[in-house]
Amino acid sequence: MIKQITLLALLVVTSITFAQHYKTYDWESQPRLHELSEAEKKSSSVRILQYHIVEYATAASNGKLKIFETTHNITRVNDDKGIDRHNTVYIPMYGVNNVVDIKARTLNSEGKITELNKDNIKEVKNVETYGDFKIFAIEGVEKGSEIEVLYTVEKTYDRHGSQTIQSDFPIRKAEFLFITGKLNENIKAYRTINQFETTSVNGKNAKVLKLNAVPAMIKEEYATPNANKIEVVYQCFPKEQNITQDMFWNNVVTNVGSQLFPEKYPEIVKTDVTAIVKDLNAPTRFQIVNLVDDYIKTNFTVIKNNNPDLSNLEYILTNRTASEFGILKVYAHYLKALEIEYEVVLTANRFQFKFDPDFFNPNALRDFLIYIPQEKKYIAPGQIEYRLGEAPFNILGNYGVFISKNLEYYFSKIIQNDKNYSRTMRSSNISFGKDLEYVTLEQHHEYTGFWSVTNRAVLNLSTEQALKQFEDYLTGSGIEDKVILSYETKNTEMLQQTYNLPFIVNCKLQSEALLEDAGDSYIFQIGKVIGTQSELYQETDRLNPIEMTYPNQYDYTLTINIPEGYEAEGLESINIKKNYIAVNGTEIAKFESKYEQNGNQIIITIQEFYKTHEFDLHRYEEFRTVINAASDFNKAAILIKPKG
Amino acid sequence: MKQLFLCALLLPALCLSQDFLDEDYLYLKRHEYIKVDMNKKTFTLEKNVYESAKYQTAKKMYFANESIYYDSFSVIEDIEAYTYHPETDKTTKVDYIETKRAFDNGIFYSDQESKNFIFPAVRKGAITNLRYNEIIKDPHFMGLFRFGTFVPTKEAKLTVEFPKHVTVGYIEFNTESITVDLKKTTKGKKNIYTWSINDIAGFQAEDDTEDPLHYLPHIIVYIKSYEHKGKTYNVLNDVNDLYKWYTTLVERIDSKNLNKVYKIAESLTKDLSTKHDKAEAIFNWVQDNITYVAFEDGLGGFIPRGAASVCEKRYGDCKDMANLLFEMLNHVDIEAYRTWIGTRNRPYSYYEVPTPMVDNHMIAAAVIEKDTIFLDATDRYVPYGMPSGFTQTKEALIGIDANNFKIVKVPLQEPNTSVTKVNSAIRLENGSIKVDEQRLLSGYEKVNMVSDYTYKKADKTEEEFLNTTLTLGNNKTKYSNIKKTHFDNSRTPLELSYTLHIDNYSKTIGKKTFINLNIDKTLSKSKIDNINSRKYSKKIDYKFEKKYTTSFTVPDGYKVNAIPKDFAFEHPNYSFQINYTQDGATIIQHKTIKINTLSIQKSEFESWNTFIKSLIKAYKKSIIIEQIS
Repeated sequence: MIKQITLLALLVVTSITFAQHYKTYDWESQPRLHELSEAEKKSSSVRILQYHIVEYATAASNGKLKIFETTHNITRVNDDKGIDRHNTVYIPMYGVNNVVDIKARTLNSEGKITELNKDNIKEVKNVETYGDFKIFAIEGVEKGSEIEVLYTVEKTYDRHGSQTIQSDFPIRKAEFLFITGKLNENIKAYRTINQFETTSVNGKNAKVLKLNAVPAMIKEEYATPNANKIEVVYQCFPKEQNITQDMFWNNVVTNVGSQLFPEKYPEIVKTDVTAIVKDLNAPTRFQIVNLVDDYIKTNFTVIKNNNPDLSNLEYILTNRTASEFGILKVYAHYLKALEIEYEVVLTANRFQFKFDPDFFNPNALRDFLIYIPQEKKYIAPGQIEYRLGEAPFNILGNYGVFISKNLEYYFSKIIQNDKNYSRTMRSSNISFGKDLEYVTLEQHHEYTGFWSVTNRAVLNLSTEQALKQFEDYLTGSGIEDKVILSYETKNTEMLQQTYNLPFIVNCKLQSEALLEDAGDSYIFQIGKVIGTQSELYQETDRLNPIEMTYPNQYDYTLTINIPEGYEAEGLESINIKKNYIAVNGTEIAKFESKYEQNGNQIIITIQEFYKTHEFDLHRYEEFRTVINAASDFNKAAILIKPKG
Repeated sequence: MKQLFLCALLLPALCLSQDFLDEDYLYLKRHEYIKVDMNKKTFTLEKNVYESAKYQTAKKMYFANESIYYDSFSVIEDIEAYTYHPETDKTTKVDYIETKRAFDNGIFYSDQESKNFIFPAVRKGAITNLRYNEIIKDPHFMGLFRFGTFVPTKEAKLTVEFPKHVTVGYIEFNTESITVDLKKTTKGKKNIYTWSINDIAGFQAEDDTEDPLHYLPHIIVYIKSYEHKGKTYNVLNDVNDLYKWYTTLVERIDSKNLNKVYKIAESLTKDLSTKHDKAEAIFNWVQDNITYVAFEDGLGGFIPRGAASVCEKRYGDCKDMANLLFEMLNHVDIEAYRTWIGTRNRPYSYYEVPTPMVDNHMIAAAVIEKDTIFLDATDRYVPYGMPSGFTQTKEALIGIDANNFKIVKVPLQEPNTSVTKVNSAIRLENGSIKVDEQRLLSGYEKVNMVSDYTYKKADKTEEEFLNTTLTLGNNKTKYSNIKKTHFDNSRTPLELSYTLHIDNYSKTIGKKTFINLNIDKTLSKSKIDNINSRKYSKKIDYKFEKKYTTSFTVPDGYKVNAIPKDFAFEHPNYSFQINYTQDGATIIQHKTIKINTLSIQKSEFESWNTFIKSLIKAYKKSIIIEQIS
């Protein structure tokens, strides 16, 4: 009898020792409203507490690993926008085996508690490409309420995981607790200087990251805010496995690479490639690969769904439909059939993820490119608007893992090969109608690089409604009463066999609004001719590093023909120069406008460029000055007055 | 003759090519065959859909992604889809179909699902074929058929086959300029109606226009009645039957446990004496305290949830709020009714369309001293007494009791109910200008500003929000001393005040300085583009008026050199007047702009553009002051 009791006691102790933390973790039995600071009161909502627990555990029954994830949030909502932001909850069920518990309650400003009726939790299956969800609306929310949500899910074991900590509202206190016991683990926090502390939870090894006053991630311009949020990325695997980052990379390279460097190819591939190149006379390698890219993009469809056949080459070649990975096989086999050397690149959209070669995170490996080393050019299989050329701008600047034929790999930052790839050249010949009633502008524009890629995509893929808006944009958006007398575009097809051939716009416009009456003189709003330039504001501290869409350069020549009997005054406002000099002394960003007068002609030249797309956050003000110089020019006006 | 008529009206699209040779993608056939059957008094409805489409280029390959949407009122069966390549005479079948849900911004939870698949091997020249059956579970939901869509169609056909003892009603919309052929035949005990049209151009959306239902040619077919053992039973013969059906849904509203709801209504109104004040207090409370969250779950999409539950949960959709208002108002002896309504997006009348297609919204109507007040609490900021902007001019179906209803038109709100008054004092200081400005906004002008301020402000600072919303002065305008009062849903105008500091605005040349007093150039970007090719009217959300009083203080050492002459544009639907006066060292500009219509018709485009051009011209005029030497 005594023996039995001891055993029982031991059992209890053991089970407590190894019990999962979520079992004892709970919210306060009596919630209370939190005091807000003045700044917090101004925000639409404030997260008072955000607590994540990720616990890797071994099932007693079968020794299998599983994960318990607990999320606990307390959020104060101050206004309608705050309520709308937090009164609906979506819990993704991806990888979830079992929902341990979901509960939610609201504490209103008068202390009334409304607890969620669990019958009102809805299940939504197979939502778009995101899997299943549990969703519910928070009950009893008013302005000034605190919403508290606490749930735990049990997931199938996954070696890798990540959690975004920062959000688009401020967080007073955030904690991430990572419990792994005796398992092996690696964990890394991004974009915070705070460090993980080692701790122990119920006798298990754990690490915790504590953050206070996490600012809201705001959508700043020239930035990648979604990719810049504070985030935790982790790995956890059994004790007997000792996996290094190199081994992870090797593994993915072998997995992916073995499927994408075929030795042989099916007959249909041969038929296809023969047909693709049959009309080419002494083609260059660029032209061949470019045609292959175009052929695949006009004969295959890439889709996301759960059909496993979408990565099966035979199925793909018959149905001409593939997953994002499956389409790579098509490229690989076509290129193999044409004996073109290539590398496969795994990388990420820099607006979503920052690729980290030092820490393997499969979540961030969502984009694939094919690199043609002899051409120093990329194919973007998943982006229908691109043809062989520079890497897409949403990848530019991110690192990628490059896999070559022998399944060797290296990391490299993905950069532009041609520094002057994207340019806009514009010449305008400006003359005035009888009695200075109106202005006529004859314009010739040339766009290269990403400008031309985007322009061609819009022209080819848009609806007519969008095309009308696009015509307005291409002919100069700042002139509100603009009448388009003529408009034509050239070199508009997405497939261009001459590399980086400019996209051309020729147009003739008329406007009265550009001329303001001033007694017997006229004020000519020359600044508006370059299109509306937005001012870059910064009233709060800049959070995000500066990243432009892509490096680019503008060269404008505006020739103003002053009518006979008149002369121009007030040309000084045209001379503007702002620049940004890099540490090494080179001018990497500039806006410069200047004029020269030649008889009755005034010739204004404007040059604006950004040689790189990344700028130092600490020199944001200098960068902003260059950007805003264009909006300064927007206000340039000259006086045209009778001679004498 | 038919062709000619068609051609004249659809000139831009059809002149390019009668055979749609320039189109990237078009429907060769769009057929729907609806079979109505009856077993005693129960209907079975089955719709057979057939679509065949051709890819003439490889540009619009995204059309290969097909989704068939349905909700719990219908079932999709027997999907058969394949791609055909005429040049090789080969067929590739769709072998994978996935059922999906989607999250919608407006509806939190919906039972709508879709069957998704991709047509295989689509390329230039491919023809896709799709056939499926839709079982319609409830005879109230026969839906509509579009003769034209956003894609051109070579042959569109709708067939309805129904027993001779059933009466079917139908009504066409936007078919004035096209000829739809209707054939009525019989086959045994069945009547067969077939509507068909060939070579109908694709309809392109345009900016600032009405919902596509206002211009897409379509037809609504519905079951009016049937005979059984010599007796006629109405289904949806007219609005009476629609209302009867609605009352069967209303009877299912949970109206228990209303004590808490009543207590709130009592405490809100206990110190108020007039019915209007009481109704206003209750309306504002629902606006302020019930958040819009919509669940569309079977008939739950039609039956309001119980007021007690809505009040406890503090959220609901339009019908939940309408029903809560109904309960609260009646409890304090204010005559109030649940009211069905179609928003401005629905171009239908209850008298013409006696089916649930006619409306998409629910509000409450209160009758106080013979006034009918329309209460739409889904519009958080609309003041009491005004209907929500998107219900103006629409028929409201006011449910009086189980047997009686009234159809009343929601009144159009006149410009003087939505007014922005702007008082600005401009002075010149060291070459830049400073402006003290106060804006008073009422009606929908206030509703829009409060809503934009709350939601669109996003992460922007107030200054950036105002600068990009009001666009005063130039893009360097600085705001300070921003103050706002009555920032709410009350009837008191919103007061917004601030000081502007604008550099590089005035221009000085020699001794003369030019200052444009039109720092607010409202409507200057409202020209209608492409008036020759544009097909559809321009939609205006509400009528409004803007009244500006701008004063400029001539600085010491200056004299007035020139003041612009007065300017006006008169038209019953849109007009402006600007005049300048000088009073000592102060120049005063009075400017009034009035928009007195909800729509600019195609015939008025030219006149509207003249109005905008005149306004821009007037905006260009500066005052000139001169330094006294």
